Order: sequence, then structure tokens, then C-alpha cells
Amino acid sequence: MDWASLAEWTLKSFALIFALLGGFAYLTLFERKLIARFQVRIGPNRAGPFGLLQPVADGIKLIFKEELIPAQADKIIFILAPIITVVPALVIMAVVPFGPPIQLFGRTISLQIIDLNVGVLYIMAIASVSVYGIVLAGWSSNNKYATLGGIRSSAQMISYELALGLAFTGPVLLTSSLSLAEIVEAQRHIWFVLYQPVGAFIFWISTLAEVNRAPFDMPEAEQELTAGYHTEYSGMKFALFFMAEYIKMIAVSAIAVTLFFGGYRGPFVDQVPLLGPIYFLLKVVGFLFLMVWVRATLPRIRYDRLMAFGWKVLFSLALGNAMLTALGVLLADMFQNSLWLWSIPVTTIAFFLLVAYLMRGSIAGGNR
Amino acid sequence: MSEYLPLVVLFILSTLVAAIAVALGHLFGPRRPTERKLQPYESGMTPFGPGTRRMPVRFYLVAVLFILFDIEVVFFIPWAVVYRKLGLFGFVEMLLFAGILEIAFVYAWKKGALEWE
Amino acid sequence: MSEQMILTQTDLAERFPGKVRRDERKGYEGYIVEADALLQVAQTLRDEMGYDYLSSITGVDYLPDGYMESVYHFYRTTGGPALVLKVQTPRDHAVVPSLVSLYPGAEFQEREAWDLLGIRYEGHPDLRRILMWEGFAGHPLRKDWREPYYEEDAKPFKSRWPDGHVYRIEDKNPFHKNVDYPPDFDPDQWVADNDAALYASLAKIQSTLDSSLKTDTVIVNMGPQHPSTHGVFRMVVLLEGETVRALKPVMGYLHRNHEKIGERNTYIMNMPFTDRLDYLSSMSNNFGYALAVEKLMGIKPPERAEYLRVIMAEFTRISNHLFAIGSLLNDLGAYFTPMLYAIEERELILDIFEAVAGSRMMCNYFRFGGVARDLPEGVYEKMRDLAFERLPRRIDELDLYLTNNEIIRARCEGVGVLTPEQAIAFSASGPLLRASGVPYDIRRADPYSIYDRFEFDVAVRYHGDVYDRYLVRLDEIRQSIRILQQALRDLPQGPILAGKPQYQVRVPPGEAYGRVEAPKGELGFYVVSNGKPNPWRYHVRAPSFVNITALETMAKGNKVADVVAILGSIDIVLGELDR
Repeated sequence: MDWASLAEWTLKSFALIFALLGGFAYLTLFERKLIARFQVRIGPNRAGPFGLLQPVADGIKLIFKEELIPAQADKIIFILAPIITVVPALVIMAVVPFGPPIQLFGRTISLQIIDLNVGVLYIMAIASVSVYGIVLAGWSSNNKYATLGGIRSSAQMISYELALGLAFTGPVLLTSSLSLAEIVEAQRHIWFVLYQPVGAFIFWISTLAEVNRAPFDMPEAEQELTAGYHTEYSGMKFALFFMAEYIKMIAVSAIAVTLFFGGYRGPFVDQVPLLGPIYFLLKVVGFLFLMVWVRATLPRIRYDRLMAFGWKVLFSLALGNAMLTALGVLLADMFQNSLWLWSIPVTTIAFFLLVAYLMRGSIAGGNR
Repeated sequence: MSEYLPLVVLFILSTLVAAIAVALGHLFGPRRPTERKLQPYESGMTPFGPGTRRMPVRFYLVAVLFILFDIEVVFFIPWAVVYRKLGLFGFVEMLLFAGILEIAFVYAWKKGALEWE
Repeated sequence: MSEQMILTQTDLAERFPGKVRRDERKGYEGYIVEADALLQVAQTLRDEMGYDYLSSITGVDYLPDGYMESVYHFYRTTGGPALVLKVQTPRDHAVVPSLVSLYPGAEFQEREAWDLLGIRYEGHPDLRRILMWEGFAGHPLRKDWREPYYEEDAKPFKSRWPDGHVYRIEDKNPFHKNVDYPPDFDPDQWVADNDAALYASLAKIQSTLDSSLKTDTVIVNMGPQHPSTHGVFRMVVLLEGETVRALKPVMGYLHRNHEKIGERNTYIMNMPFTDRLDYLSSMSNNFGYALAVEKLMGIKPPERAEYLRVIMAEFTRISNHLFAIGSLLNDLGAYFTPMLYAIEERELILDIFEAVAGSRMMCNYFRFGGVARDLPEGVYEKMRDLAFERLPRRIDELDLYLTNNEIIRARCEGVGVLTPEQAIAFSASGPLLRASGVPYDIRRADPYSIYDRFEFDVAVRYHGDVYDRYLVRLDEIRQSIRILQQALRDLPQGPILAGKPQYQVRVPPGEAYGRVEAPKGELGFYVVSNGKPNPWRYHVRAPSFVNITALETMAKGNKVADVVAILGSIDIVLGELDR
């Protein structure tokens, strides 16, 4: 370890954290503006030009808010819970490459905090940790709504995580590596979403549940549990939960882009490395737009239905997808012809349609 | 282990940032608690009984199954990494492994372990 | 039909000689039943004569004559006019047998009559106060009950304008401002008495899980400060996990004793006051009240006024249902988008109301014997455009986007089922009743105004769940558009008010029950006149209030999330529920 590397890591960490914080702030504005447009409204436009200072105003307001800790709450856990929630959200992006390595001050600097050789496992692990913060927040508040919200979030976690984990296997099978940098590199010519349409779809749906976004926002269902697990939180502690949710939105979008949409890859990235982060950002914004769109469109699903959906539909689909991908890769290796890889989308989509046909009505209908 | 050092730096820094955020709220926020304010919120009514207690969790069977299948998923990941080296053997092997678990899955499904009521 | 009616009516007095006699007071109808025979008579009515629907229960305090009266309005769900029963009982010991065992829909209405009038319904399973709080002194609708700032029995109060200056009795408030409390009262320590009884009654219900794990049931308050109870409505729910085992609605947080104020007001003063009942559909409220008073006065509005009334009432229905669908979607967790699209159309309808009545929500448009104003220039074209072009298109659009949405169907189908038998027994009305497969629409079953001239279908669905209630509302919007198209086509020229406008109407003594098919259900006004400028009794049979009786039955066994949807599908408005 030398001081130069330490300085580099610190700087990169700060850059990542502040990029995420800034991203969070403007994502809230982005969402409010977009939803307003979906709903034939204008949206925030008072604070600064086009409402651009709205996030700043919100942040300052939250700092000066009175914070309450309910009388019978478990104080230590109550204060720790938002921190436990927000830290995983901040560190999960560590393994995601934002662009190709660049030359700076005579050093080669990779635009990535760390290129772990178990990057995919790291993501899975950190993603699971963040649910603890929510459960603890619900439990420590001594509030009935919050307790119900906390229980819901654990129920939700066991509903989608299997499918999410299996969705990772597709890109890993195609790359034979867990490193996200290598997964991006392997998509130099073709995005994995073309080989893995069903996998990408499963991944996206599971991540919606992972980040508690509509239509899977049961832990904080306003209409049912007023605010769910963060009912008792106010001021900056509330802001941290809010921050965690939005940063996780950015993070899962970035991971989806990395795994299935070529990461920072795009035309002329090899010649002009700085284009990489720009492409990456654009793709992430595209995913964020999708999430906002879904929120503006769909009502909330009930949480026992989500469990049935996660286990019966998503898990079956993800398992079939993993095995069919393995089959396609096997065929390509056996016949030494990468054209066989194109059997994967064909078979997986056929399988998807089959499952959709078999499961039709089993989630929605059949109850009257 | 030294390759993980950047992660440690990031962990420390993000914890710091989160802690500072909480501290900021404590520093600048007013604190004028009253008995009513400190009551847990229950739509404006005085709550009846404690807020945290043993709730019947209908999905505990599903939760147990989850642990089982999550381990299966964890097996998938290393298998996927070395899959191209294993070739046909790896495929058949995983087919058997997953197949046995899936029989259990179908059994649990048919037994109604995934239903709530 | 009419022959059969006469037959049955003569039957009743003959069948129970000495127990039942005709009400022969001038201007009154129906029968006076001895208290001890009420249950028997009601059973005969229900089981033999087909009067299966108990629309309204209320009481009247005849202070000068020294007795109280409990008034019942029965209907047949196959249609036809009312059969009215009355039970007279002494004021100081007012006891009447309860009808809850025969008509479960009587539950809340009897509680209301007990609360406000002090008529004790013997045999009622849960006779607690409903709008006032437990521990309230007296029964406010009794004529000898006087509020702390009592001035006079009838408006206009002479004291308000001494020397031409307005003067408010509130200035004499002994605590001066409302934030000072009496010396022995500490608001932090105060707990409403009825909560203890309420929680105790819920805690009795035992867990149904035979699990070896020891778990608790939880009593959770949803409301009054809750995002999805449509106002300050409160549901106390007994939860087992997230499954609802029992539910008690608690209301009255918005109570202002509408009826007491109404009895102080003159007849015409009550017209704008009815706007405040169901503030989303004020035109329908006006309609019901105008019908009741016109019945008493024996007048009929001119043709053009009748058409204008129907047009406004149907526009109200459309705007109300749009709002109901939008907020149901909100309750399901859709983030305001359907709501705002629905409200967009509602705004256009409110534009029309503003043009004709001067106000968007508190319309105050109807008068006894007509309407307040004729259509201003250009409004007719606007209405035509809405009814023929824009609304049909936008309703189809709403239908296209919402009806077959997988999540909406998953959340709504089979949730909160009310069977037709239950719906009738609970005196449910409006879309709630029709979604359960009972084709009962007052516009058809007991036509008022000129509804018999229009061609429209009664919207009926048969599953009785949240989804069908949504569909019925959609169907009803389409039928309302049909009525609007016919009414706009046929709208005649002519006067809009019978006689000349007057501030003080002369209402002969008697009673009248005017009911309309309001968007939320049967809205009835029971008005008793003693010939003075103020009504002696002014009772509102609010559809939201009666429909909520069925809530517990629908909610039991469902999840918390469903309860919110079920409440949304009943479509309540607190202004009318709490009155």
C-alpha cells in the first residue's frame, strides 16, 4: 500500500459518494417533474429556474426539521437503522465500472472503485443487507404501521431474491467471470440483453421489488400503512431512508446497464475514453425513466400476491432461463460456433411464453 | 486481502457521510418534545397496546424454503463461472442438482406451502 | 300495482286490529304501530308483503304533543312507493323495539336516532352513541335541548343585528378563545370513554390460528388521520398479521349536527346547506331536498326546469363517479395518475356548474318549484359538446386503460364480496347495491321528476366485489351520458320557476319523504312541517352513512390493503357521513 493509491481510493470514494448524493437530489426532481408531466401538471418550478434548486431547498428544510424519537422506541436501533439502510446503497456501486481506464498524472486510473473478481457475489450480498435497515426501523419504532411495514419488507425480500440471483447467472455463464469489468468487456460487440432478453426482464422486475418501487412499494404503502417502516422518522433520518431508496434506484439501474446493456460501451469509447461515463449515464437515466414511468402508471400489488408471483412465476422463469442459457452456451462450445448462442433468446422466449400461458390467471384471477 | 482496501475506504467514508447527516439533523433541528408528540403515530389516536409484538407471520414456511433455495442459487454462481470448462458434464450435473431441488419445489407448491390461508 | 297497494294497505290495519291504525293526521301517511307489535308487523312486511328494503329510520320529537315518534320507510326492491310505519312513545321513557334482527341495515340508523333523539332501541346489539361522543350530555335533536350558545329556536336570529352591527354569539365564549380549557381538564390525559368499550369489544375476538407459535392480535386505528379513509373517518381494526378479523367504524369527527341547524333554518336557507352534505355532488342534494319540500307544498316545477334538473343531476353523477373511480385507484396505490385524468373531465363539468349556478361545488341551484337561473349564453353548446363528444370518448379511454389492467383485477376481483341478500338486508343503495346484482335504481323503481321519459338501462353487475362496483360506476357514467343526450335534445323553452321567486315559502303542515338516486345511493330527506317558516323536523338519510353499515361484513377476512380498497369502493364522503 502506498500513499498515492490511498489518495486515489479516497478521492474515488468521495467522487462516487458525491456523485450518488447529487444523483439522488436530482433524481427526486427528475421524478417529480416527470410524474407531473405524466399527470398533466407542471411540477416544481418555483425554486430556481425550472425548479432546479428544489432539491437544495428540500435538503436544507430537512436539516432544520425537528426529529422525534417515539417514547418507547429502541433508541439505538432507531438511530442506527437509517445508517444501516443507506450505507449498502452507497457501497453497492463500488464494483461497477463507469468507463474505461484513463490516464491521469501518469497513472492509469480505472473508473471503478475496485474490480473485484467476485463482483457479482458482492452485489448480491450487499443488496440483501439493506433490507435489515428497513426491518430494524420498523421494529424499533414501536409503531404498528412501522412493524407491519418491516414485516412486509422481509416478506418482499424472500419473494424476489431467488429470481434476482438466478438472473445474474446469464451474464456470468456467457462471460465465465464474476468481474463486472470483464462482463462489460465481453459486451464489446453485442449487448447481453440480446442473448438474455428474459433474464434482463426478470432482473428488472426483481430490482423494482428490491428498491421498493411501485408497484412493489408495500413496505411504505401510503394508502395502507401511512408511511410504513419510516412512519416515525422525521428530519434527516427520514431523508436517509429516502436517499437510500433513490440511490438504490440509481445503483440497480447501473447494475442492469452493466450486466445487460453493455455498461459504458458505445461507439468510439476506445478512442475517446471520456465518452464511456457519458454513455453510462445516458443508459442509467433511461432505466430511471422506466422506473418513474412504472410508478406513474401502475397501482400497487398486494404483498401475498407478490410472494405468489415471485415464487411461482419469476422463480420458475429464472430457473428455466438459467438452464436454457447453459444449454445454449454448451451447444456453442460443442460445435465451436457462436451462432448457437442465438438459440438462447429463441428458447428462453419460448419458455417465457409457455410459463405465461400456464400461469395465466393464477396470479390475477381465479378468486371469484 | 489488500485488494479489498479500497472497499474498506469506501465503507468508512459512506458510514461517515451517513453519520454526519444524522448528526446535522441533531445539531440544527429544534427539539421541543411533548408527551403527545412522542406517542407513536396511529392516525392521531392514542395507540392501544404496545406497537411491537409477536405478529403472526403467515409466510414463515416460505421463509424456510427461501433459505433452502437461496443456497441453491448461490451454487449456481460459481458453477456458471467454470461452466465452460466443465462442458457437458457441468450441464448434466447441474440438471441433476437443480432437478432434485425442483422436485422438492413442486412438492412444496402442490402441498400449498406457498399459499397463505 | 295501485290496486294491489290499496289491498295491502287496508290489510295491515285489519290484520293487526288494535295494534296498527292508519295515521290520520292531516298531511301524514302510513300507519301507527304499537311498540310491542312492531317486530311482528315488520316481519309480516318483510316475509309476506315483500317490503324487504328498510330505507330509513329516524325519529321526530313532537314536543307540544308530548311524544316521540320513530319513523320507518319500507320499500320493495321490486319497485313501488313507500310504506311508512310510525311508533309513538312517551318522551321521558322513549323505548322502541330494535329492527336490527330483521333488517341489519337498521344498525347505524338506530344508533343515530338513539344518539341524537334519545330513543332507546330495545334489543339493539351495540347501542352506543355514533355521531356524538360517549358521555355527551343530552340528545341534541330533542326540541328542549339547547346548545351552550343558544339564542332562539328559529332563524333569522334577531340578536345578530342590534343597531345594524353584526354580532357573534361566540364572542361571549366563556373560555374566550377555543384553546383555553376548563381548570379540571387536561387534554393530554383525556381519553374518550367510548374507546375503552370499543377496544374491549374487539379484544374479545379470539385468534383463529391454531398455531403452536404464540402470536398476538393487534388492534390498529386506521383513521381519523389516515391518508386513505377519505376524510376523518376511523376504522378500528383487529389484525392477525395483516388479516382483518374484526372492524368497527367510528365516525362523527366532522359532526356539526346538520339536522339541528337545518331545523333552525328557514326552508330556503337549507337549500345551500344541503350542498355541504355530499360536497362532491351538491346538485343531487339540492334535488332530494327540493323534491321533499315540493311534495309538502304540492307544487310542480315547469318543464324546462325539470329538464335542467335532470341534466344537472346526471352531470353530477358523472363527475362524482369519475372522482370515485379516481380515488379508488389511488387507494389501490396508483400514484394519482388515474385520479388526475378523471379530475380533468370533472373540471369541465364543474365549469358548467359555475356558469349556471355561480359556484363550482356549492351550487345552491335548485329552488322550490324550479331552478335558480336559466342557462347563460353558450353553456348549452358546451354541454352538448361534453355529452356528445368529449365525455363518451374519455370514458372509453378510462375503460381501455383501467378495466383490464392485471394488477387492478388482481386487487379488486373477489375482494369485499357482498351477496344480494346481504346488500338488501344492510339497506345498501346505489352502486354498492347494484354491483351485488340487485337492479334497484330509484330513477326506475320509484320514478321522480321526469326520469320516466328517458331511455336508459339500470347498470347491474353480479359478483358484488370491488371490481364490479368499479364497473357499475363506469356503466352508470355511460347511462348518464345517454340520459344527458336525450335531455339535451329535448330541452324545451319556457319558464324555469313555478310562480315568482320568494324568500319565504309557505309550507302546509305534514310530512314528506323525498328521495333521489344520488350518485352514492339513495339520498332521502324526511321533512316535517308544522306550518311555520322553519321545518319542524329535517332528517337526511345519507347514502354514505347507511352504506357503511355493510363495511365490517365486507372487510372481515381480507387483508389491510383490501380494506382500503373496499372502503374506496363504497365511495363515502365525510360531509354526508358525519353530517
